[in-house]
Amino acid sequence: MAQFRFTSGLLLAGAVALSGTSGARAQDAYKIGMSAGLTGYAATVDRAWRDGVEVAIAAVNAAGGVDGRKLELVVEDNRSEPQEAVTAYRKMLSSDKVQVFASGCVSAGNFAAAPLVVRAETPMVLCSILPQQPDHVKWAFTTIPQPRFEVETRLEYIQKKTQIKKIGVLHDPSPYANAQKAAAEKEAKDYGLEIVGVEQYKTDDADLSVQIQKMYAAGARALIKIGLGGTTLTAAKNIKQLDLDMIMLTSLEDIAVFRPVAEVLGDKFFFVASPSQVYDEIESSPLKTEIGKFLTPWRAKYKDRDPNWAGRGWDAVMLIAAAAGKAKSVEGPKVRDALESMDNFQGTTGIYHMSATNHQGITENPLLLATITGGQVKVVK
Amino acid sequence: MFNLVAQSVLSGIGIGAVYGLIGIGFCVIYNASGIVNFAQGAFVMLGGMLTNVGMIKLGLPLPLAAIGAIAIVAMLGVVLERIVVRPLWNRGSTMFVMILATLAAQIVVERITQIMAGDQPRTLPVFTDLPPLRLFGFAINFQFLWILGCSALVIILLGLFFSSTKTGKAMRACSINRDAAALQGIRVSRMLALAFALSAALGAFAGILITPTQYTAFNVGVPFAISGFIAAIVGGFGRPLGAFAGGILLGVAQALAIVLLGAAFKNVAALSILLLFLFVRPTGLLGPAK
Repeated sequence: MAQFRFTSGLLLAGAVALSGTSGARAQDAYKIGMSAGLTGYAATVDRAWRDGVEVAIAAVNAAGGVDGRKLELVVEDNRSEPQEAVTAYRKMLSSDKVQVFASGCVSAGNFAAAPLVVRAETPMVLCSILPQQPDHVKWAFTTIPQPRFEVETRLEYIQKKTQIKKIGVLHDPSPYANAQKAAAEKEAKDYGLEIVGVEQYKTDDADLSVQIQKMYAAGARALIKIGLGGTTLTAAKNIKQLDLDMIMLTSLEDIAVFRPVAEVLGDKFFFVASPSQVYDEIESSPLKTEIGKFLTPWRAKYKDRDPNWAGRGWDAVMLIAAAAGKAKSVEGPKVRDALESMDNFQGTTGIYHMSATNHQGITENPLLLATITGGQVKVVK
Repeated sequence: MFNLVAQSVLSGIGIGAVYGLIGIGFCVIYNASGIVNFAQGAFVMLGGMLTNVGMIKLGLPLPLAAIGAIAIVAMLGVVLERIVVRPLWNRGSTMFVMILATLAAQIVVERITQIMAGDQPRTLPVFTDLPPLRLFGFAINFQFLWILGCSALVIILLGLFFSSTKTGKAMRACSINRDAAALQGIRVSRMLALAFALSAALGAFAGILITPTQYTAFNVGVPFAISGFIAAIVGGFGRPLGAFAGGILLGVAQALAIVLLGAAFKNVAALSILLLFLFVRPTGLLGPAK
């Protein structure tokens, strides 16, 4: 099947715009709402997501918009708190009259607001994992690869490239981190590994040394760190301070966060990377072409800023634009139905295979394991 | 298991000493004014952030950057006192209002820091970049020794300041009876400003000591402030030495809770200790401030 591409989305949108369907409607913006943790622990990720969404909206609008309408973004800061997210969603639905959501990575916030969104029959394309209840999932789509991919990428490396047999899992309490933890617990044995410790931390913890020592004492020689924010740096410092013979493999994050971590742990530090983060290292492919389309305006505006989460934001807008273009409507139920039909849609992270039974479109693991050597990001072969 | 518990206790003492220093900052202001300054966490955050900026942006060596950061934060403490606390104080506002005002100041400082410095985590190099000492099978890192040594030094210097200097005695007089101190010719308002400067400097110093073991960012202040506040209550609010002991007790209790009960019980342990003291010994470890 021919792949939907960014260009096709734009052409479709542009064609609809030029076909004379607009008239008075051309003046009505298609409002995209966003609940994002612009402050708080998820700020690094969600600000990048927002900026990626803005770059994508500018690109779509420059090509004529969607169904004769310009895209307009309404952003509310949820401060990375679920209760704040509910307030943000309510405000955007009732006051701003947004028609679709492209919300950030605070999964607990998106979960908490899901009942509101479902009642309003408003589709949402998320940076976070999907809500848990089936009736909520119906209206939610995600740009994030399955949580197990992040885990599998690391387990595979430990299995194939090290002699380590015992590992520890250190995670924050977010739903996304818990999903990864559950995947690790389920799959470790398939990679010949034993999880000897699972420890939780809070994103504002000042010290993780006790959790790490506990797992090390149980025999763990590799630490699977799951979670966002500066705690990765804290964990690295703790490992070094305790002089532990242990490698750390962390989940996806802004590479700017990893640079000081790499300075602390050196060759004991690895991280999961998305293709856009290692663009120069990947071979020519439709994926690389798609990333290139995004990186051109992104780098023009933000230079060498990390493109990972922004790329997902780009994908979210392109999915929405393509769906609304295909539906020839911006009505929530019609866009939702069209989103479900987005199969073989090439994004910057991977290929989306949305369907009625799969709202987590990326079904093949696109992630890579990387390290930082001499300040340069390198894919671990 | 013994080694794990002992090693964890060491970690708890290290982080607890920092809580203690922050708690002392609470006590210094409380003694001079009766105010609980919830902007104390902002001083801790600014200590680490400004030192990082001094090193990275200005290329200063760590000691110079740290001294500069402490001086700037001390001045910010005075600014806070002048533009937030003093007007309310002069207006005879209730303590509740002043506490809320300091909390608002904490948020303002956080946001300004975020706007000016961004949200990326930063850190500082350890003061002594050597592998940890090995003692009876335990790893004792040098930053831990720096934290303990500097904390002890601060407590001794504070003790000398309050007992042997005219200014220190004047501050103590204000804490005992502000009206009587004023009648003796002590400028109470100046003592209040000095208390904020001293408290801010202590907070910044704590931030500089702890940042090499973790990260700092615009939003790290509040958790530290909460832990320091608990340490101050456990120690006996207004008792600097008690606050330090309270901090160590808190840090060790949290470490033991993680080892013996799981990380989910870390804060349960901290808050249980707080409740225990509030119910059983509300005057804290060392009794009420005199």
